[in-house]
Amino acid sequence: MSNVLHRRHVLSVATCSALATLVPRAPQFLIETAAAAELSASARNDNLLVVVQLSGGNDGLNMIVPRDRDEYIRARPTLAQTPGTLLKLNDELGLHPSLGGLASLWESQVLSIVQGVGYPNPNRSHFESFDIWHTAQRDTSLRSTGWLGRWSDMTGARETSDPLAIHVGGESQPLALAAHDSAASSFRSLDDLRLKGSRALEDRSAIAERLGAAPLPTDDFSRFLRATTVSALSTSRRVEAVVGDRSTSAKYPGSELARRLQIVAQLIEAGLSTRVYYVCQDGYDTHSKQAAAHAALLSDLGGALQAFHADLAQRGQDKRVAVMVFSEFGRRVRENASQGTDHGAAAPLLLVGGRVRAGVVGTHPSLTDLDDGDLKHQVDFRQIYATLLDEWLGCDAARVLGKSYDKLPVLA
Amino acid sequence: MNPFDGRDPREAWRAYDPDAHFPWDRRRATRLLRRAGLGPTIAEIDVAVKAGPSETVRTLLETSEPAPLVTELKDVTAAALATNDAKNLAASWLLRMIRTPAQATELLTLFWHGHFATSAAKVTDPRMMLHQHDQFRRFAFGPFDELTRTMARDPAMLIYLDSATNRRTRPNENFAREVMELFCLGLGNYAERDIQELARCFTGWEVHQGAFRFYAAQHDRGEKEFLGRRGAFDGDEGIRIVLDQPAAARFIARKLVRLYVCDEPEPPDAFIQPLADELRQGDWNLKPVVRRILTSRLLLTDPLADRKIQSPVQLAVSWIRALDVRLSTQQLNTDLASIGQGLFFPPNVKGWPGGRTWLNSATIVGRANVLSRIAREAAQRSGAGNLASLAGRQGWESHDEVVSGFASLLLAKPLDEADRRQARQRLESGPADRSQRIADMLQVFALLPEVNLA
Repeated sequence: MSNVLHRRHVLSVATCSALATLVPRAPQFLIETAAAAELSASARNDNLLVVVQLSGGNDGLNMIVPRDRDEYIRARPTLAQTPGTLLKLNDELGLHPSLGGLASLWESQVLSIVQGVGYPNPNRSHFESFDIWHTAQRDTSLRSTGWLGRWSDMTGARETSDPLAIHVGGESQPLALAAHDSAASSFRSLDDLRLKGSRALEDRSAIAERLGAAPLPTDDFSRFLRATTVSALSTSRRVEAVVGDRSTSAKYPGSELARRLQIVAQLIEAGLSTRVYYVCQDGYDTHSKQAAAHAALLSDLGGALQAFHADLAQRGQDKRVAVMVFSEFGRRVRENASQGTDHGAAAPLLLVGGRVRAGVVGTHPSLTDLDDGDLKHQVDFRQIYATLLDEWLGCDAARVLGKSYDKLPVLA
Repeated sequence: MNPFDGRDPREAWRAYDPDAHFPWDRRRATRLLRRAGLGPTIAEIDVAVKAGPSETVRTLLETSEPAPLVTELKDVTAAALATNDAKNLAASWLLRMIRTPAQATELLTLFWHGHFATSAAKVTDPRMMLHQHDQFRRFAFGPFDELTRTMARDPAMLIYLDSATNRRTRPNENFAREVMELFCLGLGNYAERDIQELARCFTGWEVHQGAFRFYAAQHDRGEKEFLGRRGAFDGDEGIRIVLDQPAAARFIARKLVRLYVCDEPEPPDAFIQPLADELRQGDWNLKPVVRRILTSRLLLTDPLADRKIQSPVQLAVSWIRALDVRLSTQQLNTDLASIGQGLFFPPNVKGWPGGRTWLNSATIVGRANVLSRIAREAAQRSGAGNLASLAGRQGWESHDEVVSGFASLLLAKPLDEADRRQARQRLESGPADRSQRIADMLQVFALLPEVNLA
């Protein structure tokens, strides 16, 4: 639990108890509406983090391409990007030609590229490496919670029922969000949260109220079951109540990632007190015939990030949102026999936002000094977590991560 | 602290013997059937209550499908295949899950689909998906070594793991990696080097014109060295070496305990080893181990076994079978996919992680919506099939009897007093039709946290 009691906590608690005193049996919805109205004004000042996970192992080498051509072409006889098509970042680096969206974010100076991100003794299993990124723990016995879940536990009790973290997508909820005392919400579309039973809304209020008032179960499994149900019922009620027709004129491309980010933008605009949003883009496990598949993925990624940023800027929300784009590992430097690439290690990580310090952090990892055929990392991913936790989400990063890490100059 | 600490493995796996403290009653029989299959019908519960635990388990392990049902399902499957859409295959499988008396076989078929997970999102020929699926049913009770060797030649599997071409000069490590990590051993029981060497054993194992072929010229006949063995091994020998590791039988036994008993916590090795030994002694046949688990005191008397969350498929099929509902399994399949379990479309090669990952805001709302739809369908059936007549046949007359009767049929735990009151209110007022009021009551169940327990 956080020791700091924020001013808005005090305010909304006071509002609730004042209402409760004046109206001894104030209906629950009235109390919540009052708290929510008070909150939505102040919640707009909080920084928000949006995590975009590239699942399957993004080929970072073909995303941020070095101009040191000889080694690159030797390692990638069929997959090397030709120099003329690269979107130039600076004298040393170019973007994959499908990343026009990202190039425009670079032009607008809202993109930070952190080179060579990874961790010591890299693991090349998708699941293991994801677990490492999600939990920031090497010790498998310590992996019951994720880094954002621990942040959520520390940020503590909430004055409204909005979950601290929301995952938009159809895949399983990322372990990064697993917490002890709270539950993040997951859904694919806002319609997923609409209860359709004949008397569902009455039932929902009655059950949510009962579950909220009952003493917490003592065992951790029942507590999870209870917390997840409460979070589901209240998110369902909240999203129905706040998301009217607020779509902006922002144009999103037709990709699934863009659709998910558009939902995130709507939720941000709706004034939820949620502070972390999480979306995934799957398909990066390009073992064979990589060229076309990877180009399509990157095109979707760049287009979606650009549209999301433009939408937020139009809503005046871009300065409080930072987007972090990562993958569980990069790919092997040398391409394989199927015109694809196998699991690798270090890769670039991206940050996008109105208060991100634009530029490139670090140099491109060497293509000759390799670790078992893979790029070596220069930046530990936990340095980025530490920076975001400390400077952006405003909590004690060392408590979340178990120790201190050197921070990086990625936020303005 | 792990709640398994302080429990004695021998005692836990000892066969349950009914006594005054743990009587063999409807609740316990329902628990056994819910865990062994996809959820019992009322008739199956009646039979089990009379038969007793060991006879019930014997029947579960020996029941096969009657010939007319086999024929009917064959036609349905052929029709589904003709649409060339794996989603229709999923719908025909759901129909089988609902109709088949061979419930234990069907649950294991689903288990293997998650274990050797392969997705029609990548394997676009539904005939290949069906062929693989048939192997899971054929080898539902093992032998596991033969199932693994079959999967190493399975066209859907090889395409899914990018091994449709696998050349000597550049062995594809993907299948070999998953043999070690996900199919047979689990992390921590091998090194990267072992994967690379095992991968060489499978070179030349390819898919050609939709079928497996051994392309001899591309097979690496050189010496390989992995897991402490050295020799010019081929793929089958490679699998044998992997399965000879002591970790292999523990890996499978652990997954079976998770399937039948509880999602968490992880049982210590001392609880797993007796089952692993039984698997090895039985030459990878599952029946002795499954019998041991299903008749165990751990499953039938220990509160630890309450810690299991139902998969979407089991949740929906259990309500459908218990309430004897007829509905479109195509729509059901779409609904199940939206709450995280699209058959033939597992999320990735690791299958459905299960346990707590089944539940989040959207899936809890989605589960409630699926269940309330099933309840409404049940209410709309005419005559003897509707919910009021079902209650009547069971002798549930008063509101309290109706609440308790349906609760014990559909929920793993008894209702607490406040939930019971809310459920009873739905019977006391509302639509004139009694079946509709029962459906409204079932929709209260659908929103309770406990509805998700297995």
